[in-house]
Amino acid sequence: MKLLLSFLPSLLLSSVAVVSAASSWSFEDATVTVQPKGAGIGAAAKEKLDPIASLPKSVSLGATDTLKLLLTTTDGKKAKRPHQAFLTLTEPVTGLEESFVLSVKDSGKGKVDLGQKDLPHQFLTSSKPIQASIVIGSFGASEPYKSKVFDLNVSRDENVPLAIPEKPVRYAAGDEIHHIFKEEPRSPPSVISLVFVAAVIAALPVLLGAWATLGANVSHLGKALGNAPVSHALFYGSILAMEGIFFLYYTSWNLFQTLPAAGVVGLVAFLSGSRALTEVQERRLAGLR
Amino acid sequence: MRWSFSLLFTALLGAVSAKSFTGGRLLVVLENAAEQEKYSVFLGDLTGRGFHVTVESPKSSSLSLFKHGERAYDHVVLLPAKSKGLGPALTANNILDFMKKEGNVLLALSSEQATPTALQSLLLELDIHIPSDKSALVVDHFNYDSTSAEEKHDVLLLPFPKALKSDVKNYFSGEGVIAVPRAVGQTLGNQSPLIAPILRAPSTAYSYSPKDEADIVEDPFAVGGQLNLVSAVQALNSARLTVVGSSEILQTAWFSEKATLNGKAVTTANRAFAEKLTSWTFKEAGVLKVGKLVHYLDEGASKASNTSSAIPENNPGIYRVKNDVAFTVEISEYSNSHLIPFVPPKGDSVQLEFSMLSPFHRINLTPLSQTANATVFGTTFKTPDQHGIFNFHIKYNRPFLTNIEEKKQVTVRHFAHDEWPRSWQISGAWVWIGGIWVTVAGWLAFVALWLYSSPAEKTAKKTQ
Repeated sequence: MKLLLSFLPSLLLSSVAVVSAASSWSFEDATVTVQPKGAGIGAAAKEKLDPIASLPKSVSLGATDTLKLLLTTTDGKKAKRPHQAFLTLTEPVTGLEESFVLSVKDSGKGKVDLGQKDLPHQFLTSSKPIQASIVIGSFGASEPYKSKVFDLNVSRDENVPLAIPEKPVRYAAGDEIHHIFKEEPRSPPSVISLVFVAAVIAALPVLLGAWATLGANVSHLGKALGNAPVSHALFYGSILAMEGIFFLYYTSWNLFQTLPAAGVVGLVAFLSGSRALTEVQERRLAGLR
Repeated sequence: MRWSFSLLFTALLGAVSAKSFTGGRLLVVLENAAEQEKYSVFLGDLTGRGFHVTVESPKSSSLSLFKHGERAYDHVVLLPAKSKGLGPALTANNILDFMKKEGNVLLALSSEQATPTALQSLLLELDIHIPSDKSALVVDHFNYDSTSAEEKHDVLLLPFPKALKSDVKNYFSGEGVIAVPRAVGQTLGNQSPLIAPILRAPSTAYSYSPKDEADIVEDPFAVGGQLNLVSAVQALNSARLTVVGSSEILQTAWFSEKATLNGKAVTTANRAFAEKLTSWTFKEAGVLKVGKLVHYLDEGASKASNTSSAIPENNPGIYRVKNDVAFTVEISEYSNSHLIPFVPPKGDSVQLEFSMLSPFHRINLTPLSQTANATVFGTTFKTPDQHGIFNFHIKYNRPFLTNIEEKKQVTVRHFAHDEWPRSWQISGAWVWIGGIWVTVAGWLAFVALWLYSSPAEKTAKKTQ
């Protein structure tokens, strides 16, 4: 498919050449040679180029190889020197083009040498083969020639680091950034919490039960209330109230609501407590405790 | 603020209502009346679009870009002149100062006349390079006009330029072919984002010097797409400069000329292209304006039911960490005579940065709605869990659009002591809360026992 596509322009071009009577530019006796460094002339891989069809297999260019393109430019059938004779390399992904000028003699014999150091870094890092086309054109009525003649595979020496310049600044939308929040504090599964809550609450009946087996009771309540009813009611009530104040402070009150209330309740507890504890002392002195 | 002032200014001047966003005073610098005749349609079109055109010769002693230290004109067209220098009023520094005061420049070159040194150093300053050989011109053996340049191939016929990139708006599109006769090609420096090509040469074109390279081109100045025929600079203050490689593009002779491209008869559409070029350069197109910018606490679903609570304050000075914040901004684009809603090209979007030194958030804004002349862009996001002084920062710099930069500073504070979740909402705390209340109950029971317990009768006395 790809081969067919690469054939198409040249086929079209050749058909155009047939239709138009005017002479057109082309080339003949074209060879492309890849010469490894230090190797003899015989070691070079040589391919003949056809102006109508692209070379079926791609030419590969190693790190130290030199690519040599030789051709004779023709106008009509005659060898002639054009004004423009370029070897144009096209990077198929980005469409980047770079042209190398062929030095053409008056006889129409032209050549260009190419090494990896002549290529821009985009060509060296290209993932697809680079398309090499030949452009021949000149002033006057002769039809210019442009066609893909071969694919160039650039095989880089991976050990040699490639100096790729930093990408220049261009105005465009930047990547989105979303702040990464610190992790929320986590709680264990509430089932586990509930089990331990149950264990903690169960400790209260256990404590009360233990006291009961040790003979704890409240049978002097009537006696105490009979001896000092106001003091005992106020004293125990104030202790209850203080816990109530703590509960309110925990749920809704602020410190300024809590402190006066705690002060009043504390005073009541102090005054009523001294009376109530006097009553307890009387019971102890009476041998009832 | 600034534009409303300039609008007021032009209104006070009593000038014809200019369509340009920044004013209609246009200076055309050309050599003599014969030259002016060549550009009559071009200048007539500019006058017709509301520009107040003043034509001056570079030799004129009254020529000055400034008056009382301010710009005397809003825009300048520099057409090539035969004389080598441009005189003391048009030095490279003067033109750069003119651009620093937000003046726009359209600069036309010609391969038939040497580019004056003032303009050469101006272009060098802007990192636009032209061939050092003064007669160098662009030829293409594939896309030339075979009616007028059958032998020399130096009149290029090109389609209107495509968008620079897929996510950049194209202000130079059109139907037809543009004739580019005897152009001076430019190459652009790669480092600056401020320069952009408008019309690139086709891939088979090249620039050569007819004197030295008459037989064969050996060392072309530039080749193919790296060669620009029209290029543009937009400075950080949005002043624009357009370099037109061939002044003949603007001449009446090429405005709708019959030409032949590869055997097909075509009519050049240079008049439309010249209009696109001038309307972009003189800020009739591609001008952005920021309207109302609002940010507020987005109480969203949590408070939606409680509508009696006041509408959140707009643009408050302080937020808390992890607040949901809504942000909207109106952006309009000026199009020839009025503001229209700005629609960013596909693949591009206006971005909001929420930044303290570096951006914590960079969010693409989505177009929420459109008013008669603005698009409302907006987004919602959560402030980061970092307190400090932050900025809502919109910076929208794109090729061919005037630069937008908006900054709104806000404080982001900690959680206050009463904004944390209550302990009973944390399931891990239930054990400890349970422990406290069990202790309370145990204490009350202990007090009651200590006060009211009678001694155990049967067994020996035990401590309670």
